Amino acid sequence: MDIKLTEEQAQLQDIASKYMDKHCTFEFVRRMEKESELGFCRDMWRQFAEMGWLGMIIPEKFGGMGMSLLDTVVLIRELGRHICPSPFLFTSVLASDVITQAGTRDQKAELLPQIVAGEKIYAFAYQEYSRFFKPEHIRLQAQKSGENFVLNGTKLFVEFADGADTLLVVARTGKANSQTGLTLFLVDRSSAGISTRHMPTMSRDRHYQVDFNNVEVPASARLGKLNKGWAALEPSLLKTVIAFCGYTNGAGFEMHGYATKYASERVQFGRPIGQMQTIQGYLAQMIMELYGADMLTLFSAFQIDKARHARGYVAKAKAFSAETVGHVMDVSSQIFGGMGYMEEQDTTLYLRRGKQYQLALGGTEYWEDVIAEEIIDREPVVLT
Amino acid sequence: MDFDWSPEEIAFRDEVREFIRREMTDEVKGSIFIDTPARVEFVTRMARLGWLGMGFPEKYGGSPNPFPLAQFILNAELDRSGAPIIGKNVGTIASTIFHVASEEMKMEFLPRIFRNEGQWAITYTEPNAGTDLGSMQCRAIDKGDHFEVTGMKHYITSAHFCRWHWMALRTDPDAPKHKGISIFIVDHDTPGIRLSRMDTIGREGTTHRTNQVFFDQMKIPRSRLVGELNKGFYYMMQALDYERFAILSFASRVRRFNKIVDWYKNADFSGERPATDPYTRRALARMSARIEVGTMLERMAICKAQYEVPAVEAAMNKVWGATIGDEFAQLALDLMGPFGGLWGGEHSPFGGGLADEYLMAGHARVAAGGVDTSKSIIARRLLGLPNALGKPELPQR
Repeated sequence: MDIKLTEEQAQLQDIASKYMDKHCTFEFVRRMEKESELGFCRDMWRQFAEMGWLGMIIPEKFGGMGMSLLDTVVLIRELGRHICPSPFLFTSVLASDVITQAGTRDQKAELLPQIVAGEKIYAFAYQEYSRFFKPEHIRLQAQKSGENFVLNGTKLFVEFADGADTLLVVARTGKANSQTGLTLFLVDRSSAGISTRHMPTMSRDRHYQVDFNNVEVPASARLGKLNKGWAALEPSLLKTVIAFCGYTNGAGFEMHGYATKYASERVQFGRPIGQMQTIQGYLAQMIMELYGADMLTLFSAFQIDKARHARGYVAKAKAFSAETVGHVMDVSSQIFGGMGYMEEQDTTLYLRRGKQYQLALGGTEYWEDVIAEEIIDREPVVLT
Repeated sequence: MDFDWSPEEIAFRDEVREFIRREMTDEVKGSIFIDTPARVEFVTRMARLGWLGMGFPEKYGGSPNPFPLAQFILNAELDRSGAPIIGKNVGTIASTIFHVASEEMKMEFLPRIFRNEGQWAITYTEPNAGTDLGSMQCRAIDKGDHFEVTGMKHYITSAHFCRWHWMALRTDPDAPKHKGISIFIVDHDTPGIRLSRMDTIGREGTTHRTNQVFFDQMKIPRSRLVGELNKGFYYMMQALDYERFAILSFASRVRRFNKIVDWYKNADFSGERPATDPYTRRALARMSARIEVGTMLERMAICKAQYEVPAVEAAMNKVWGATIGDEFAQLALDLMGPFGGLWGGEHSPFGGGLADEYLMAGHARVAAGGVDTSKSIIARRLLGLPNALGKPELPQR
């Protein structure tokens, strides 16, 4: 047992960290929030492609790097440190993996190299009007019409829907209110009948409501088997959730670093506030939580890479990382006092994101329900 | 990164499990202390296998370390099964003797520790020197060939069955407070020592005993001074670093949590089934994630220990363990309704064990370095924040 990064992982982390330091500055993030139309930068995306990052987990025979989820977590943690806005998660983790796992030979040969080259960006159209993240709650209909399918319904919180080329849509084709009866579609963003509306969030990011009004898609847009969409999606979604945890843990570590630095430098009552036990207690508690969340995330990625049953670990990692990132952003901001809530203060970029990360991809309660299924309804898996 | 145990680690773990299966009895179970004849015998049998002196030179009775993580695997398995763990005798006392004591003292005491020949009490705490050990006042007056002690110590665990005390005393009342303390090895049967029992709260027969220790003109031979005079505080601080065994295993908490979950799977309160109650399910789920975090922090400390002394990681492990232990106990009782407080009888889940758990959990938060104090250690040593006096964190070595 050894948790040291391998030489390759350390190198990847180093390159990513240097790249992000240089290109993903606070000024850049603020520009993406307020001035950019798409909310991310196409030039940066091209550079991701050049560095091979977009094909991280895509098999080498499709032009990717064929690396592990653990490697991906190491990379995305650096993106998270810099709260880098990019469609990496849903393109290079979710779409890449689900196409690799569920795609036909033709789909893989056509679509995966496009992702590697940075030519196609994917958005994930899953969530509907539900507090939870359950597949049962998906109602967007896909009806067969000759060879084609016709989609009708509304998806919410589709990140980067306007900048994406393709929407990965989870649609109901069978039994209602059930995990079965769902089918995955890769829908061209420019299809007739798709309209989007920006959903403003406190992160100033780019989430959209996407309305599907008689959107006709060809049979070739179907990914995986009819009515078996959830079975195809869930394993890839668990990987995506772990990568997302890596991202939010990175953001948490960075914010914690700023708060620690401030506590060492800010003098009140003639001494640095970091000398006070309350402040020390906050910072110590948070660093423990961050290490715990980080280790749990890496551990889950390791289990997934070994193809072991990891749903319970993923759920624990997500529930805990979510709680941690929310907590770290809040408490760290408190250490800055009034300054922690001023628009000009860069740490507020993290504060505004923390809670939202916590609620994304299924909030704490949703994942606690998953944990409960694993530990109560099913025998816990004992790892030796 | 590799989170799996290696084949040799698994082989050693299986060897430990086999030993426990063979030697474990009900008399041995139930405490980490080596305080009954059955538990002493159990540890002595481990000693015969060379498991106490792993990593120490053979001339002092040690044995080669099979691999860096052997000690952790051993303690984790002991803890999981409720057996006494390898603790302070090796972690604090043998390590300090090995690093600072004279050759004579090493030859005299190390082999005895590794053979489990007699137990030890760590005799530091005083009424006015708890968290702030540097403030201890109990004097050892230098009389040339011996030191004379009159005074008292309290919260001295193990004193009622120990053979030796690992004792810190003030040897220079005029020096700055951290520079006037020395460490001694004191035979418990030295004339002038008297004990008075202090019982922790708890059910009759299950309580943990600790002690007040009084000294009346007790004489300690000069040969029992450990290392140099007035260096005691530094030795105590350094011992924290040697104390790899301070990485308390999370295994027993995992085991106790799993027992609770198992109980709830089948629980039925007059037709109301907690296993289907959303609040109960989420509360157990949340706790399960927090317990998993504990096993992760433990892994982190263990892995670090392969390369360097995981002092900060051990502190994190302690804080998380004690905090989660408390949260866990609170939850276990909260979910039971009024039955949580039962101390036995027909309707008492786990025979009153939950109430015991609750009472012990608070104690664990303050014992052996309180949670809030340990958090400050993390803040200072890991995050580099200044201490409350604005002084450097550790004395120069």
